Amino acid sequence: MEGALKLWAVILAVGALNYASRLSFIAFFARRAMPPLLARALRFVPAAMLTALVVPMVVAHRGTTDFADPRVPAALVAAGVAFFTRSTLWTLVAGMAALWALQALAP
Amino acid sequence: MLPACVGLVPFGVVCGVGAAAAGADWLAALGMSVLIFSGAAQILAAQLYAGGAPFAIIVLTCFVLGLRFLMYSAAMAPHLRTLSPAWQRSLAFLLTDQAFAVVVRRFDASSDPRDGASYFLGTGVALWGTWQATNMAGFLAGNLIPAWLSLDFAVPLCFLALMAPLMRSGPNLAAAVVAGSAVLLLQALPMRLNLVVAGVLGIAAGTLAEAARERWKAR
Repeated sequence: MEGALKLWAVILAVGALNYASRLSFIAFFARRAMPPLLARALRFVPAAMLTALVVPMVVAHRGTTDFADPRVPAALVAAGVAFFTRSTLWTLVAGMAALWALQALAP
Repeated sequence: MLPACVGLVPFGVVCGVGAAAAGADWLAALGMSVLIFSGAAQILAAQLYAGGAPFAIIVLTCFVLGLRFLMYSAAMAPHLRTLSPAWQRSLAFLLTDQAFAVVVRRFDASSDPRDGASYFLGTGVALWGTWQATNMAGFLAGNLIPAWLSLDFAVPLCFLALMAPLMRSGPNLAAAVVAGSAVLLLQALPMRLNLVVAGVLGIAAGTLAEAARERWKAR
């Protein structure tokens, strides 16, 4: 499976699975309580999965791990701004400004 | 609901740019924002697709990422129990990170579930419309943005904006440290399986850290 057909298969499958997850306890398991261990584990999905996504994009965005990449300090600045402001907009402004400044200083 | 929509604008634009960068045509980009309707899943699917990952791996990785919707669904279910199935199915479609954050407070503040449900519908439709418009804007602008701007860096920044505030909690921090270390240490795994494995290890670390903390407090 290649090209546009594969992309549409991904869109339909991921869309259907996302909708099934959103509907799960509202419709399918409405009469059931979530098992306590599952409820506890699911609370860590955002922290774990988002970190697993972010770290390679920052530290290994050229394919190999490079902690000297200017994206590393720029991401740390952005993480600090996100921690205190909780704002997507300010996180983007701070992170992009930090990256551009670092790239201008050391081309 | 207005601040939630404004906060979604940069993320939506970045997702549209991501779809363009992955080589999607306008219809596939629209399909992603309409049907997947989750920024993190759209970006992840676009990147894995562009990197040539197999279909099953893309779907599995996005599924693990989407497991948080089970949590939102379980939290919303008691409030929606008295509504008709048509309302339940419509509102479930609109259940996103942003809608959940805004709507759950309204349900907690109001005793009438119909009031919360109308608010959910209004907020959800506004967020959905904002999402489609900003994704399309990003898709159309994507090829015009010069490479030296390094705009692809906006993708991890959008995720950082969602993730960094969670680090006020110790178990979340444990989950993030384990997932972040594992994803780098396991880079040799084929087909970007390191994402799923690191995610699952992080979830386990958070769960164990919380259980250990409770045991410690109970002593």
